[in-house]
Amino acid sequence: MSGAISVTKRKEFWSNDLLEGDEYESDLGSDEEHDVEMSGAHDSNSGVDHQDGSIVTPGELITDDPIWMKGHGTYFLENKTYSSVVGTVSRVNRLLSVLPLKSRYIPETGDHIVGRITDVGNRRWKVDIGAKQYAVLMLGSVNLPGGVLRRKSETDELQMRNFLKEGDLLNAEVQSLFQDGSASLHTRSLKYGKLRNGTFVKVPSSLIVRSKNHTHNLPGNITVILGVNGFIWIRKSSKMDLSNSTTATGSGQSDHLPGSKNAMSVSITRLEEESSWEIYSDKNDTVTVSVRQTITRYANVIKALAHCELGITEPRIISAYEASMAYGNVGQLIESETMESLGQDVLNSEKMRGAA
Amino acid sequence: MGLSITEKSFLFDSLTLDPPLRTDGRGSHQFRPIEVSTDFLPNSNGSSHVILSGGSECIVSVKTKVVDHTVESELLVTDVDIQGHRDDSPLVTSMSSLISKLLKQTIDQKKLMLTKRYSFKLYIDVLVLASKSYPVSMISFAIFSALKNTWLPKLISSDDDLEVEELPTFHDYDMVKLDADAPLLFTFAIVGDSVLVDPSFEESLVSNNGLLITWYKDRATSPIRSVGLNNDNVKGFSQHHLEEAIKLIHKYAPDVERALVSSD
Amino acid sequence: MSRFEIYSPEGLRVDGRRWNELRSFNCSINTHPNAADGSSYLEQGNNKIITLVTGPQEPASRSQVNTKQASLSVTINLTKFAKMERSKSSHKNERRTLEWQTSLVRTFEKNLMLHLYPRTSIDVQVHVLQLDGGILGAMLNGITLALIDAGIAMYDFVSGVSVGLYDTTPLLDLNSLEENAMSSVTIGTVGKSEKLSLLLVEDKVPLDRLESVMAIGIAGTHRIRDLMDKELRKHGKTRVENLTN
Repeated sequence: MSGAISVTKRKEFWSNDLLEGDEYESDLGSDEEHDVEMSGAHDSNSGVDHQDGSIVTPGELITDDPIWMKGHGTYFLENKTYSSVVGTVSRVNRLLSVLPLKSRYIPETGDHIVGRITDVGNRRWKVDIGAKQYAVLMLGSVNLPGGVLRRKSETDELQMRNFLKEGDLLNAEVQSLFQDGSASLHTRSLKYGKLRNGTFVKVPSSLIVRSKNHTHNLPGNITVILGVNGFIWIRKSSKMDLSNSTTATGSGQSDHLPGSKNAMSVSITRLEEESSWEIYSDKNDTVTVSVRQTITRYANVIKALAHCELGITEPRIISAYEASMAYGNVGQLIESETMESLGQDVLNSEKMRGAA
Repeated sequence: MGLSITEKSFLFDSLTLDPPLRTDGRGSHQFRPIEVSTDFLPNSNGSSHVILSGGSECIVSVKTKVVDHTVESELLVTDVDIQGHRDDSPLVTSMSSLISKLLKQTIDQKKLMLTKRYSFKLYIDVLVLASKSYPVSMISFAIFSALKNTWLPKLISSDDDLEVEELPTFHDYDMVKLDADAPLLFTFAIVGDSVLVDPSFEESLVSNNGLLITWYKDRATSPIRSVGLNNDNVKGFSQHHLEEAIKLIHKYAPDVERALVSSD
Repeated sequence: MSRFEIYSPEGLRVDGRRWNELRSFNCSINTHPNAADGSSYLEQGNNKIITLVTGPQEPASRSQVNTKQASLSVTINLTKFAKMERSKSSHKNERRTLEWQTSLVRTFEKNLMLHLYPRTSIDVQVHVLQLDGGILGAMLNGITLALIDAGIAMYDFVSGVSVGLYDTTPLLDLNSLEENAMSSVTIGTVGKSEKLSLLLVEDKVPLDRLESVMAIGIAGTHRIRDLMDKELRKHGKTRVENLTN
């Protein structure tokens, strides 16, 4: 279609299949009996324990075996454990919990996240990480120009906005959790810090699966940070990204791809970066048009995966990216039909690989 | 929430390329895809529901009432409700007055006349459920679709009632399509030298200025005005930006209009 | 003008239902994924409502901070076009709207596990696009679905329905015609129990009839709970399948 706009007509108000039953389904049965017959799994005989991974809804009995410790998403009443959310049952050792299908991001220690500064305050920054509360980044938990061993001084307190200010994006690790569940962050590693040279995409956090590595180098000289909280940063690969390339598809434990000479020069730049103001720079490097186009394509591909409610992983991004090459114009990728067919392509290629 | 300085400059640099590279890869003339449904409110004479791909969403209801137009001259009432904004906030009041003024100028009120004394009075209610970018374009699309799908009761009594004192009577179930043409409003962001239609929220944030242009009966028409899409980097724009925007409208507005009509 | 027969001797109501039949009930969740943390769309008869839940999130103002539990708010937007006749006022500050808001907050405050979310706020917005009797019950259902969609922990479903009393016969799930013609009661039930979390009797109901009114009402809410449960499971199943391969 060469038109400037695509307008889709919805059949129903919401394009959700109506309950298949006819109106008589709402009949409550014979006059004298008020109880309702229902074939749902819920009111089948109790005592049947739910298997790991089965779907439960709020108020549903999970087990009457008191041996289980109650975890998130459950509550305990008269020796019985019930679900408090819609989700899947998880049993790990003695811990019984229900993982909600969808919720705000719940931080855990060690999570690699992407966040945005909302407040600069007394020796701390407040960071929006898509959780129920803002996270805290203490002045003492960041690297400051001048090296790791430099001591923090009062002047640092006064110039906090020179490091990070409202609106700034950064990636960080959850260092610890406060009693109310909110997170304390740190950026004391070179892979964390202010984000530059790219673009931001937000997806539901439930679509990001926790794994060992959340920074991936992708074909086309692109690096993506898949924050566990669903905040995603896509950027031009930096020298450091390439030197850290130990992703699943990368060359594994062997030496860096470009050869050891390159690795040398990288380690020198790293030293420089460590001590300079550059890590807090607000200037982007030069990014070529073709890299910019690739970034846009990846952003659209990730949005397409999210549109199809597919879990977002490195192999899936690459697979969807390859499938998207069938569309020469990146702007075509925003049509919902195209997004759905991309999602289907990804699932199909997974099936093929599984069969092979 | 605002963007970081690096995001803004990255985006600005992309948008000012030739051709511009937009956040989602759209061409400068390309709109975000929209979904439209109509006639979902049986209690209203017309209704529409428009959803933009980013999640912005708007519902319009058209209701009607028979009034004596010799007493009541106001035949069009427009009301805009934007979620998260008070009724007396600048955004809601400016949007409300802009749209009601525009509809009064464009909708042919003779079409509402039933008899020499009585007329239909139209109530156009707009509810913006969610909006990330400047919502005026979405609202005009929704009003356009709702008015295209508005059905009024069919008059069966005589249309000359000056002599006889009788109230108009209507057919029990036959309806007549109002078929009123409503104007479409288009927004453009001016970023550097690029002119972009239907700017997204992020694009609005880095734009130097914005333009609002009305399209009615196959031509660009007044009101044409500049709108500040953000508070930070507003700059002046030159005449060729306006010419470029009008050129884009003349080229693509008929497409939009056709797409909206054919989606019925 | 011929008067409508509210309940015919043959036992049929104006819309052809029997005394114990619900109106058609359709619902979906996650209808507004980009606009809110949880959302639902619900049709109960000709009632059409959209519910949006945002939160738990940082409270907008310091005064809302409660160190013990989340603060819950409910805003009802009864649109001007919701009724048959367009209304002039926006209903926003009407006493009835405010009363509904208060009773909805009270109901869900007890049913949600708000102590899990201290120092946050949970905001519920209900948009009534079309109104056709028994709206308070429909709002209970819509809010329950949207809260569940948002992943906010609760003890159990709350499902609601209205019941009228015509002479001596209780009529389940009134439409607006019926609602205007008789006394009615709105009930909200917790899960599949007989426990009520909301009871609103706006007109006079003979005490000796209340029991039969409540009995059919509770059965009706259980049925609605099952319909909502079915939708949630259907949605959950596709979601889980897509997430893991």
